[in-house]
Formats: sequence, C-alpha cells, structure tokens
Amino acid sequence: MQDVTISVNGREISAEIDERTLLLEFIRDVAGLTGTHNGCLEARCGCCSVEMDGNIVKSCNVLALQAHGKSVTTIEGLSPQRLRPAEHITSQSLAGMYEPLDVLGADADDLHPVQAAFHKCHALQCGFCTPGMVMVLKNYLQENPAPTRDDIRTAIAGNLCRCTGYQHIIDAGMQAAKQLREDSVQLRDA
Amino acid sequence: MKPFTYLTPGSTAEAVSLLDEYAPHARVIAGGQTLLLAMKTRAERPGVLVSLSGIADLAGLRVAGSGELVVGATTTYAALAKAGLTGWHAEISAVGGDLADRPVRTMGTIGGALCAADPRFDMLTLVAGTGAQLDVLAPSGVRTLTPQEFFRPGGGIKLAPNEILASIRFAAADAFTAVAFEKFRQRTFDAAVASVLCAVRTDAGGRLAAIRIAVGAVRPVPVLAEGTAAELTGSPAAYVDPDSAATRIATEVLGASGGTPEEQYRRELVQALARKALRTALSSPRS
Repeated sequence: MQDVTISVNGREISAEIDERTLLLEFIRDVAGLTGTHNGCLEARCGCCSVEMDGNIVKSCNVLALQAHGKSVTTIEGLSPQRLRPAEHITSQSLAGMYEPLDVLGADADDLHPVQAAFHKCHALQCGFCTPGMVMVLKNYLQENPAPTRDDIRTAIAGNLCRCTGYQHIIDAGMQAAKQLREDSVQLRDA
Repeated sequence: MKPFTYLTPGSTAEAVSLLDEYAPHARVIAGGQTLLLAMKTRAERPGVLVSLSGIADLAGLRVAGSGELVVGATTTYAALAKAGLTGWHAEISAVGGDLADRPVRTMGTIGGALCAADPRFDMLTLVAGTGAQLDVLAPSGVRTLTPQEFFRPGGGIKLAPNEILASIRFAAADAFTAVAFEKFRQRTFDAAVASVLCAVRTDAGGRLAAIRIAVGAVRPVPVLAEGTAAELTGSPAAYVDPDSAATRIATEVLGASGGTPEEQYRRELVQALARKALRTALSSPRS
C-alpha cells in the first residue's frame, strides 16, 4: 500500500492505495466520479480518456502512482453541473425523454462546446464511448482549432464507438471547432 | 497484475543502484504503455517497478557539440512530434507523431519502445535504419551500443537487469540528405505489419554516397538490407530504379519467392513499402 495524492477536477484527493490501482480505478472508486468509463482495460477503446496535466491519457493504462502529484481533468470537470450526481437516470430512460438535458437539470449553455456539439449533432447513441471521445476531442481542438474532417478522424483513432458509425462524431468535432473559434474571437473582441 | 513495489528514484545513479539491488525481479517503467498491458495479462510479473519519471535528465532533446541529436530515453512520442526538428530529424518527429494514438503518445516513450523491443514498433526500425547510437547506464559506467549490439537476434534486448537505456544519439542533421519511413498497419492505432526506412546521403555530384535500408516487423529484430545498399552506393540517385531496388530489398530480407500465403503477402508488402520509401528518399528529400 502506498499513499497517493491526485488533484481530480481541482479537488485534491489523497488515499492509501494498492500499488496496482489504475488511474481509472482511482477516478471511479476513490474519487467517485463514474463518468470516466471502463471499456476494454487494455488501452484500445479510449472510453477512459482523461487529461493529466493538460495531456490526454488512457487512464486504464496508467497507474494511479504515475499520476501522483498531478492534476487530472475528467468529463465531469468540463461543465459544472455534471459534478452533481444524477440519480436513477439511465441511458434508456433518457432516450425516452423529450429533452433529456432538462431532466438532468442541465442547461445546454452550461455545456462545454464539445459536449454541446455532441448534443446538437446527435453524436452518441448508447453514450458509453462519449466521455472518452469528448475528452480526446477537447484536448485535440485546443492544439488544432481549425481541423479538417480527416484530422478529427486521426485524433479519435484511439476511440472506438460501436453505435454511431463515427460520422456524427466527426460532425460534432467540426461543429465544436467552429464554436470554439467563434468563442475565442468574442473573447478577443471583448 | 501481480503485486509489486513501486520506487521513484530521483537520479540515474539511484535508479541503477535500485535495479542492482532488486535484480532480477525489478523492471524499469517509463511510460508503461507496453509494460502495464503485459503485467495485466501476467506475461510480465515484476516484484519491483523502478519508475524513471522523476529523473529529469532522462527526458528531452538536445543537439550535442558534434551535431548529433541526443534524445533522452523517457522522451515521449508527443514530445518528439512537437519538437520542431529540422533536416532529416524532422522524420523522427513525423514517425513519433504517427504511431499508436493520441493518448498513448502522451505516455509512450522512445526508450520504452526500444526496451520492449516489439519488432512491430516503429522506433526499432527508425533506430536501426538510421544507425543511431544507444547509451546504456550500468553500475560500472556508461557504454554505447549500436542497434545490432542492443537487440538480440532472436528478439528482445541484451541489457543486463541492472542496466538502463539512457539516451539515443541520432546522427547529425547533415549525415543524411533524406530519410523516408513507410509502414503498413491495419488500423491507424495498430502496430505496423511491416515497415521500411530508407536513409540516403548524396554527394555534390548527385551520387549516393551512403544509403541505409531497414525493414521492420517481419523478423524478431529490424533487418538491414546491406547487400542492396552496397549495390546502390555510388550510383547516381536519379538513375536508381525504385521498382527493381525494392524487389531486391524484399528478396534479400525475406527470400526469393514461395512460402506460405502469409510470407508472400509480407514480401509484397515490404516491396511496396520499400518502393515508396526509396521514391521519397531519392526524389523529395526531407531536408
């Protein structure tokens, strides 16, 4: 057992953990944030992608000890209301609702532009891969604000989606890039 | 995973002494992108992990006085891709930025790939093809190995359990006029099925003063097509026929013909990749 301190979405979390604990397990079981999904556990599917000190990593293939003293941002860190747990809502029940964001008590305006673009472009069906897709795209668009569709395909090469056929995800990536560019222009003018 | 102890030395000397103390049960962990996967399946079951992440002088790039590019072993692929290298060194950045996927490149390191010594990894072909020098730290001091001395012919590496790969020294930017790397993979984030690197230096008269060709992923270690390279050396670059040279490379590395369908497929793949690499290296030098 070893002590580790990781800042998750700005909150310092210290715990005594088994050396074998993966960063993914730390985020889900110790920090209690289940938005980061456990898909394949072998660095293939990308569902567990999070940012570590601003760089994107697959948290299932990083030891929590490797993240000691670092700052981790998960999908919950992108928009404030997501830090409130949404009880008793499943993807199935959400699918039957007319405006699922209302049910979560969330407002589309509060969403990160990448999340808002996923919502707008219908870039998810079951939603399992979405946290990883959103984190990777957010990280990529910070580096390349004016991507082509091919650039987006390459950026999410390490993320698997079994529902959408990827087209709407790429649409969402392009939409988010456009939104982020417009936001940065507004910030500059303001 | 089997239980292990995780140690974070702050210096290379400390790391070497820890490895020496816990050998042969200790393993070095850099980014862990290969090692952790192997530990999950228990293909690797080290009792002690010695992390290199806290040793600042093992990461990063610098140009030595001799013009050589010295790349620290724990330099990540992402850092290589962003390094903004010039001359043929730009190909190192290009290779580092076009393997595995974005999150893996954040953690994966050049030294980790070389020590994992999976022949499908691009870094092996890159290092063997360009004839880089590998600096190894041992309890007795530093020793420098060529790729041939570093890799075991049957696969794996020749480092003792208490040795650490510290840095990779690539030849100076003017050592080659052009370097071209080509690979084939099933999906973008897969490791290569075959890869070919071609490095050339032309003289003032446009003749091939030096040429190195390495083929990766088809044998346990990258193979140099030294026979073909010797034949091509001295001929004017403009008159080299990439098609026939590529056939000679495939024959030299994988034998003339026949074999199972898989072997035939591999030979055709090597031939096609060699043709592309030769064309690029001979016509549009990355310089």
